[in-house]
Amino acid sequence: MAATHVLFVEDDDVIREATTLALERDGFRVTAAPDGLTGLDAFRGERPDLALLDVMVPGLDGVSLCRRIRDESTIPVIMLSARADSIDIVLGLEAGADDYVTKPFDGAVLVARMRAVLRRFRAASQADEDDGGALLSFGDIEIDPEGLEVTRGGERLALTPTEMRLLLEFAGAPGTVLSRDRLLERVWDYDWGGDTRVVDVHVQRLRAKVGQDRIETVRGFGYKLKA
Amino acid sequence: MSPAVRAFRSFFRSGLRWKLSAAIAVVSALVALALSLVVHNAARVSMINSTRDVQDERVQSALRIYESTGRQVFGVRLDDPSLPRELRQYAAKGQRATYVQENAHGAPTVWAETPADEHKVLSLKSTFTDRYSVLVDLDQALVAGSLAVVGVGTALGVLIGGRMSRRLRKAATAARKVADGDTEVRVREAIGGRRVRDETDELARAVDAMADALQLRLEAERRVTADIAHELRTPLTGLVTATELLPPGRPAELVRDRVHALRTLVEDVLEVARLDGAAEQADLQEVALGEFVRRRVQALAPDAKVVVDDDALVQTDPRRLERILGNLLANAARHGRPLIEVVVDGPFVRVRDHGPGFPADLLREGPSRFRTGSSDRSGSGHGLGLTIATGQARVLGARLTFRNAAPEEGGGAVAQLLLPRG
Repeated sequence: MAATHVLFVEDDDVIREATTLALERDGFRVTAAPDGLTGLDAFRGERPDLALLDVMVPGLDGVSLCRRIRDESTIPVIMLSARADSIDIVLGLEAGADDYVTKPFDGAVLVARMRAVLRRFRAASQADEDDGGALLSFGDIEIDPEGLEVTRGGERLALTPTEMRLLLEFAGAPGTVLSRDRLLERVWDYDWGGDTRVVDVHVQRLRAKVGQDRIETVRGFGYKLKA
Repeated sequence: MSPAVRAFRSFFRSGLRWKLSAAIAVVSALVALALSLVVHNAARVSMINSTRDVQDERVQSALRIYESTGRQVFGVRLDDPSLPRELRQYAAKGQRATYVQENAHGAPTVWAETPADEHKVLSLKSTFTDRYSVLVDLDQALVAGSLAVVGVGTALGVLIGGRMSRRLRKAATAARKVADGDTEVRVREAIGGRRVRDETDELARAVDAMADALQLRLEAERRVTADIAHELRTPLTGLVTATELLPPGRPAELVRDRVHALRTLVEDVLEVARLDGAAEQADLQEVALGEFVRRRVQALAPDAKVVVDDDALVQTDPRRLERILGNLLANAARHGRPLIEVVVDGPFVRVRDHGPGFPADLLREGPSRFRTGSSDRSGSGHGLGLTIATGQARVLGARLTFRNAAPEEGGGAVAQLLLPRG
């Protein structure tokens, strides 16, 4: 299997070089860009497997870049942000990022987050080739868990791999309340310490696609799929 | 020290109002007493003198009548055996005289004598009774007047002193609020604004000016700290990543360990600066506390014991709550001794260890930055953990309190968080 190709957009020279070296040592192929516009060009020219975007970069900022990438692709996107800038984190997630890592980050943590999101993505893309299996249906939503296709009223929905994993998690236990922690564990592979806002924003995004009341909020506990 | 002396001393350390009114009472009592004595004596002397004059005239006219008729009028007596010795001496010298004989009780007796023929002495005595009763009335009036003066003076003292002490107390309360970090409070407004222009107003203005100056300096310092920490963050991120590129080995481990410590410190300083800035907002959601605490504690401190006495639904920001729990557990692990217990009891979360407990100054003043949870500074903490926990609790609208468990319960530090109910 060819090395995973990562697009890394970061304006600080030392962080960019050191992270590139660290990722390359871990077996990734890295295309690094110092600003958003260069990053967008690199995304279009090189078709990377994953994007790692710093929120605060000159030119086109990370959040806008994320939105542009999402318009064209479902590749995993991880945002890099300082812990303080919590609004940036939410904006990044709303723009379609799958996860985020706060700066200063450990290389090991970053790689773990990247591998987790790649696993979801690979599972989704591999399933695409393998058709057939029982369809799950909830109202006007139909899910093909093998082919990983979701239709609403007969129309195919474009879900990112993370949204797909999330929906499958709900579909696996319809009517059961799933806590944010459990979803973080099962969908994002966080053992602990994940940010539950990642779940909240993804649920919002999923709702926008499958219908607002399909997924119900259970106050204090989490979410459940209405059968 | 005798109890009386102690009571006396404690009185003089007590309120301004009572000191003022006591001083006024003492001074007015002394003045009233002195004036009364002067008035009493002057009245007495003038009454006695006029009585002497009357007696003298009487004895003279009695002498004229005696010499012409031999009759004794006005109650005069010839050679009265009870005539005072002093008068006898004057009579022996052939002189007319009057004399006031003081009696132990009641009014004095006023004597008058005049020598008569054949070495006889004609004398007249009269008690001072009716006149004396006037003097008694005067004394009564003087006492009543004095008491009234003392009473009114004391009342005035209480009133004026009370006003002043009330203003000063209000000023003290306001100053304490400022000290507790309430920057909105103005001492001058608290004592009633610019209505009264006296020394209390001057003091209030001075305190306000001082608070402003301190606030500005603190703000500048805070900004500098936050700026430095912020500027440190980018090079630090590069450093953290670059450190991971070092070839494996003990030197790399040491560098990584220190870089990690540096990173934690910078992040904590930034967090404190943010919390101080009061711009932080909680991202509230409903959380089932028991389950939340159980899971987080399991991850943060696997050796700690979690007991859920009474589960509750609380309205809180889970990331901030996790931060508080993490810092309390880290503090317990660093400065306390196992077993670390976490108890969820309704909206209360208690973190307790079995170590030496919190130091006294922390219990007294609350956590302050760069003071470690234990008085020995050998530990690796930099003391920001509890400051952050307290600040985060404030953002959550929760209350974080610290105490030490009683020795009979096994001792140890107890941090208690009270969260608002969902």
